[in-house]
Amino acid sequence: MVNVIDYVPGTTLLHRLNPVTKLAIAAAIIAATFLADTYALLGGLLALTFALAAYTRTVPRLMSLLKLLVPLAAIMLVLQTLLVRSGTPVLGFITDEGLVSASKMALRLLGIALPLVLMLSVTKLNDLSNACVEVLRIPYKYAFTFTTALRFVPVFSQEMNAIMEAQTARGVEYDTPHPLKKLKLMLPLCVPLLISSVGKTDATALAAEQRGFYLRTRSSAFKRYPLAAADFAVLALCVALIALGVAF
Amino acid sequence: MASDSAIISLDDVSFSYGSAEAPRALDRITLSIEEGEFLGVIGPSGAGKSTLAAVLSGAIPHHFGGAFFGTALVCGQDTCTVSLTDISRVVGSVLQDIDTQMVASNVEDELLFGLENFGVPHEAIEKRLQLTMETVGIADLRHREIATLSGGQKQKVAIAAILALQPRVLVLDEPTAALDPASSKMVFDTLSAINRDLGITVVVIEQKVALLSEYCRRIAVMDHGRIALMGTPHEVFSHGEELKRIGVDSPRVARISNSLARDGIIAPGEPCLNVEQAAELIERIYDDAEQRRDASADWQNPEDNDPNTRGRSASPHRPSRTKAEGVEPVVLLDGVNFSYPAGGASVRDLAMRVYPGELVGVVGQNGAGKTTLTKLITGLLKPSAGSVRVAGLDTREVRTSQIARHAATLFQNPDRQICKNTVLEEVAFGLELAGVPRDEAHRRARAAAERFDLPLDEAPFSLSRGQRQMVALASVVVLEPDVIILDEPTSGLDYRECMTVMETVREMADADSAVIMVCHDMEVVSDFAERLVVMADGEILDRGETHALFAREELMKRASMEPPQVIELSHELARRVSPAFEGLHEVSDVVALTKELICRG
Repeated sequence: MVNVIDYVPGTTLLHRLNPVTKLAIAAAIIAATFLADTYALLGGLLALTFALAAYTRTVPRLMSLLKLLVPLAAIMLVLQTLLVRSGTPVLGFITDEGLVSASKMALRLLGIALPLVLMLSVTKLNDLSNACVEVLRIPYKYAFTFTTALRFVPVFSQEMNAIMEAQTARGVEYDTPHPLKKLKLMLPLCVPLLISSVGKTDATALAAEQRGFYLRTRSSAFKRYPLAAADFAVLALCVALIALGVAF
Repeated sequence: MASDSAIISLDDVSFSYGSAEAPRALDRITLSIEEGEFLGVIGPSGAGKSTLAAVLSGAIPHHFGGAFFGTALVCGQDTCTVSLTDISRVVGSVLQDIDTQMVASNVEDELLFGLENFGVPHEAIEKRLQLTMETVGIADLRHREIATLSGGQKQKVAIAAILALQPRVLVLDEPTAALDPASSKMVFDTLSAINRDLGITVVVIEQKVALLSEYCRRIAVMDHGRIALMGTPHEVFSHGEELKRIGVDSPRVARISNSLARDGIIAPGEPCLNVEQAAELIERIYDDAEQRRDASADWQNPEDNDPNTRGRSASPHRPSRTKAEGVEPVVLLDGVNFSYPAGGASVRDLAMRVYPGELVGVVGQNGAGKTTLTKLITGLLKPSAGSVRVAGLDTREVRTSQIARHAATLFQNPDRQICKNTVLEEVAFGLELAGVPRDEAHRRARAAAERFDLPLDEAPFSLSRGQRQMVALASVVVLEPDVIILDEPTSGLDYRECMTVMETVREMADADSAVIMVCHDMEVVSDFAERLVVMADGEILDRGETHALFAREELMKRASMEPPQVIELSHELARRVSPAFEGLHEVSDVVALTKELICRG
């Protein structure tokens, strides 16, 4: 089963960059998206994300994520246009200012979610945690917790799917066309999911301890993650990107 | 008592989860494991096998809380006084659920994790990696993503990740529970190589008796927290009756030799453990008998006898039934294709018909498409071409929840279908979903739950794994569905629970439900299924009468399957002793025919 954050193998420059640099790229694009206030820049940042995705051949990933995000963005767009009261009315309740701020908000939502997924799909989780420990000096415990949490996302979603399948096969109407009814039916599933999750997490803790988790130090990692010239160049570009966000 | 060469010794160890008054999971166990041993542990569920593994690996007392009595020494050190990390340097353990053990997304990183942590010098790591991967046979998988591996490969990676740490003892908790027979054998071959070539002590908890008897040098049988029997496979499996009482299966060939011993035909105490031994034994008995015979006696060639009228008792499990004429099939697949959107496995051109009252086994390797087939029948998946009809409904036209009124599934993992607070509500839930009034549903649920001796008002999740499977079974039985689908109904269950499930299913088939059973346990399939569907690589290779298909060697080879022991044995005996053996598939038939052959003359 393929998941949104699974590693997509490749040898592009982006693949080869230090994982920390990749995090910085995502952070810079996200920061610039927050700061940007013009359609041009918001659109430009999204285009940049997609250009990087095209370069690393991860566009299908982003598209599958977009399928989830676009409806969400649409809901936000509608809510925001209905809530903003200032400006001149265009059609009934809807004002021009409302439309502008709502559309920017929707663009921002997309601009924030996509870069992080892009970077995660070109980085192995182990490299990410090891590099964070080595370069950023984050304690391994936290890095491990973070990557394990990410690793568990697909594990739990598979478990959830399996539970829903089992319930559907019993005759629970998860295949109902009503989204609210479906949501109501899904709530009781939290119990089996929680029970299996707690069990899995406990087993993971035990297995990690039995493989010397508590002995690990900053120098344990077999691979080294030095920042190369390319990394510094990209980091400089990241700063420039944020400056661009501040300016426009 | 613990000798000097013991690498792990338990002296009078008791353990209970919770307080000291709680029931004991382990009850005064004294056990010493010698360096270089290959020990198998078997027992019914709830006997304390996993608890024993946890004590051996130090997870008890360090990870699981409870009351611990006695002493457990690993390498002469008391596990209570050294840290879990230090115990792990000696004892490597492979967990039951390997997905939770994995920390990395690819194979190399998974192996690196422990090596890095234990501070193996970086210049030595590469060599260690290569050595380990070669030993386990996964060198070609080094850069693969773990998510893309098969079950058997994943299990090997889990073993390699621990083996790389060069522990002196390897403890494995049911490493083959989710694997097909071929992959299970592969895992045991690996363990055997590790044990033989590297001298690493292996302790393995396992339910598959045929594997245990073939690979282990010593077997411990657990029952109610105690070690009930202990010895070489020969010693242990000569106690057939006692094993049966405890709830542990014996290899079928051992049952044959035990029966012969009970009837005084051979000396007791040396049960056969594999087909070859059994074939030799019976051949020897036969030859001896023939020599004793008077050469001038009227010798009757067994070929003259009609094998259908002699030596065959009625099957205890499969009474033959006549099918009603002109009955419509309740499950009908025609030219069904399906492939998953993300790629990967797909099934092609599936066609099958199942009639009311039939018990059909679906067999094949992991990934052959068996589960996809069952999901197509329950409507969880809709065919991309062809049609699936269940009880007259086209699965593409009706919702899955509607098909559920006609077809009930017993899943491999009961925890995925349990969602209510009490056993009674859980069992009644399916009926209520099908529109049965609450009172009526509860009345029927009560009857079904009582049939399996289930506590009505307890929370299902507080029950043992075996009992939870019984809850799931009761909620299927209570529905009285037209079609029952069993997905690995016996995995994770002990022999007794397995028989309860299968006998129940058999009764439901007698009451005219159609049963479709996906199962890796060929003995169970052979005992219960009347017809067989053999799958490989997403296609149905063949279908037909169970024993006729099992006897076809090329078909079994193509599907990478091994026929059940008895069928293999009768085939061998037909070649070596008498053609009358051909086609026998019950332990009692082989015993009866052997007796008959030697008594004549």
